Amino acid sequence: MSIELGHFALILAFAIAVVSTVGGYTFWRSGQRIALVLSQGAVLQFVLVAVAFAALIQAFIASDFSLLLAASNSHSLKPLIFKISGVWGNHEGSMVLWIFILVAFGAMVAAFGRRLPGDLLALVLATQSLLTAAFAGFTLFTSNPFARLIPAPIEGNDLNPVLQDIGLAIHPPLLYAGYVGFSICFSFAIAALISGRIDQAWARWVRPWAMLSWTFLTLGIAMGSYWAYYELGWGGWWFWDPVENASFMPWLAGTALLHSALVMEKRNALKIWTIFLSIITFSLSLLGTFLVRSGILTSVHTFASDPTRGLVILALLALVIGGAFFLFAMRASTLRQGGLFAPVSREGALIINNLFLATAVGAVLVGTLYPLLLDALVGTSISVGAPFFNLTFGALMAPLLLVLPFGPLLAWKRADVVGAAQRLIGAAALAIFCTILISALGGVSISLAPLGLLLGFWVAFGAFAELVERSRIGRMPLGESIRRLVGLPRTVWSTALAHFGMGVTVLGIVATTAWETELVTTLNPGETAELSGYTIDFDSFGQQPGPNYMADEARFTITAPGGSTRQTLADRRTYVATGMPTTEAAIETYGFSQLYLQLGEPLNDTHVVRIWHKPYITLIWFGAILMALAGVISLTDRRVRVGAPRRAAKLASEPA
Amino acid sequence: MLFWFIATVITAIACAALFYAAGRRAVNLSDPDLDDANSHFRLVLAGIDTDLAAGKLGEAEAQAARGELAREILRLKAEAGRVAGNSLDFGRPALLAGLGGIAVLALGLYGLLGSPNTPSQPLAGRAEVAAQSIDLDAAITRIEAQLTANPDDLRGWTVIAPAYLELRRYADAARAYRRIIELSAPTPDLQTSLAEALMLDAGDAGSPEAMALLREAAAADPAHALSRLYIAAELTRAEQYAEAAQAWQAALALSEGDEPWLAAAQQGLAVAQNGGVAPANDAEAEMIGQMVSGLAERLAAGGGSVEEWTQLVRAYLVLGDADSAQGAYDDAVAAYPQAFDRGELDTLALGAGLTLNGAQP
Repeated sequence: MSIELGHFALILAFAIAVVSTVGGYTFWRSGQRIALVLSQGAVLQFVLVAVAFAALIQAFIASDFSLLLAASNSHSLKPLIFKISGVWGNHEGSMVLWIFILVAFGAMVAAFGRRLPGDLLALVLATQSLLTAAFAGFTLFTSNPFARLIPAPIEGNDLNPVLQDIGLAIHPPLLYAGYVGFSICFSFAIAALISGRIDQAWARWVRPWAMLSWTFLTLGIAMGSYWAYYELGWGGWWFWDPVENASFMPWLAGTALLHSALVMEKRNALKIWTIFLSIITFSLSLLGTFLVRSGILTSVHTFASDPTRGLVILALLALVIGGAFFLFAMRASTLRQGGLFAPVSREGALIINNLFLATAVGAVLVGTLYPLLLDALVGTSISVGAPFFNLTFGALMAPLLLVLPFGPLLAWKRADVVGAAQRLIGAAALAIFCTILISALGGVSISLAPLGLLLGFWVAFGAFAELVERSRIGRMPLGESIRRLVGLPRTVWSTALAHFGMGVTVLGIVATTAWETELVTTLNPGETAELSGYTIDFDSFGQQPGPNYMADEARFTITAPGGSTRQTLADRRTYVATGMPTTEAAIETYGFSQLYLQLGEPLNDTHVVRIWHKPYITLIWFGAILMALAGVISLTDRRVRVGAPRRAAKLASEPA
Repeated sequence: MLFWFIATVITAIACAALFYAAGRRAVNLSDPDLDDANSHFRLVLAGIDTDLAAGKLGEAEAQAARGELAREILRLKAEAGRVAGNSLDFGRPALLAGLGGIAVLALGLYGLLGSPNTPSQPLAGRAEVAAQSIDLDAAITRIEAQLTANPDDLRGWTVIAPAYLELRRYADAARAYRRIIELSAPTPDLQTSLAEALMLDAGDAGSPEAMALLREAAAADPAHALSRLYIAAELTRAEQYAEAAQAWQAALALSEGDEPWLAAAQQGLAVAQNGGVAPANDAEAEMIGQMVSGLAERLAAGGGSVEEWTQLVRAYLVLGDADSAQGAYDDAVAAYPQAFDRGELDTLALGAGLTLNGAQP
């Protein structure tokens, strides 16, 4: 009966969401009282969807194939962790995960939002309920995860083998937490537009949510990138695949949103930007959901193509985004200008940041949608590949990265560029020195690589300029400097760390792109290949049964240039239930670099082996982790916490 | 019934929680709006001082920022006064209507979508699984023990003989069939089964005893097809093609036109008549040739996907035309210079001994 109770719980949550939406929009002016009801409703929705989700997980663990979803996507021999993660490794289950995270954020707003004005809280929760009702309705009526299958088959169809990986347990929940988290910013924007309460305090409430979602999204994208890198067996870490772009666009817009909200909170400026970005970021998340879930795109993310679902999501998309922009158009003219500032100022710099990021979103959007529209309207199928994105996106990001270190050093309202430049001389000199050193050691070739390195080092070192400046290192006794450094607000540290992480990622991208080496060869056991100073001995080849697959295993010994040796193992697996093959590459990490071995199909008693050497590739993800860490540090700053403004006031008034 | 009871209770609890939330008075929050706004503005004011001290704001700009803040506070206070009178509260009827709506919507919708009487069926608790998990090895061990005690148990041997064949214990199967023949009488079917076990046990070596048994079976029953098929197959294996052809024809003569072995027997006859080599089907070969040349022309003229190139190279390799395969592979590499794009093609070509850019890896 647990499955049916889960089904009922999801339906009850849907019903509560529908009534909350209607009640919230009708009575929001009654303030505190309706807010209390809606808060209770948000908590109930969370509990009920959690029950529904748990019922699905329980059915998968028990291999209850009377649940259609389990019969189609699970297998009794699958290891436990993949039985659980298999719940969201399909269209219906992933929608339940989406709704679960949506209501979890709604419940968090209800829990932490006690200090919010009642009308604003009511409108935020009503909008959250609207989204929950829309998505739960979509799930229940077009793709019900609780559909039953009688008589139940004795065995399930198993999960796509590519998805039978720890990545499925981590990547979707993180990414969804990012995607869906921005719904809170969206709901706050809608609430602000309806109530007309668009002020500085609003930005203070929104910023932690934007920061939290952005942190999750950063980790989710990085995790997805690393998963694709090690599982798909092509050694690529970013493909400009439409599905990747779908997650990257909200990230770019969310990054701009974070910076805008900061300005609005501190200087009461950039209001239109902040509201606009709140709407656009979540709209892009929805667009991503539409692209992935409608079956328009064929990829590992597309579990089922069903035109009805696509149309319904498109209608939801039009309703939510169209409604939001309609409200925006109604209200935009009444938005009061806030703090005044000169063109050269912190505010001005952040506008430049927004412009570049927004343009980058536009470029990626065009590159992603243009082929789809062309195909739909004219019937011509073209592909917009990596060259387009590398050129347009690279051209937009290079100038942004160039001016990035200036931003944190500029003063509010009216700034002194020359003064900021003087404080960055040290960072610039250090960046040039490192670039020349590396180019000299590695042999100079005519390419863009040294320029890329210079840019990466400039961003990385420039990130610390503000820390150096404010701690007065070198101009004060060391102890005093350290005391100042420790006493700096966490947001300053967070900014420095995030920008440093950006620089680290740039360095990783440049190094991998410029100096990657590749070898495709045929090897037999006992033979040896060489690449970039690494010697790869093919030791043995054999077959090994796994829990639900048969594996062809190739064992290699890698001798590094330094002489150390490591044993490693590359697999090709054939899954019993589906007969589908996967490759499990052997990846060995040396410092920040990796050696990547992939076993091809055995043919005529020989084996095709692909070997890549990827210098400093891990910096790409390491940088992303630093950025996410910066997000966490910023969230721990007392000043962003909604619940503790008094104590924060005391802290902030201490001399910095 | 139990389900509907639980569902109703859950709905009632949810509605009660909402009802009491509406009844709770916000006693501790006398004027939360103003309170929070004030604390926010205190923070902004403190922030201005901090920024001034850190050099993030000039003296004049800090003054301007304080002015802006003051104006904002005045504006908000004026606005709060205007909004206060514009309150729209909801009464008990609206609340009850909402709660009723939730109950009706949830229970009604579930009635529409759900299947309350379908029980859960976890795999571990299912009868089929229990039946399936009977261990064949354990059952055989048990029957073997019985047969050791009572070697004349015809039924035991009859059960265990096909099980041995299934488990590929051919010698044991032959022993079992021999015993059955001893205990009952030799029938063509039993003799054929024994011969099958003997031939499988002998592998490629062939078994004269099996052949004798099969001929005996065929002689005993002029309509016994299975023994004749085995004879024909064994003769073909032994490369006695003339006799094999006769045997295949003898078996085919018994066919009524819908036997599952018909196609195999016809092919066996063709092989035997052709001296042991499967004859090429000319019409089929010609069709394949046309398809390949059509694909080659299309790819040469307008290019194509890497999958189509792979198909062409594979077709040439199957036809044994290595030069054309190499040519097609070279063209494909020219069309797709990035190794990244060519995954399967490289695997196929390099595995078949073709060269990449003139150099064999």
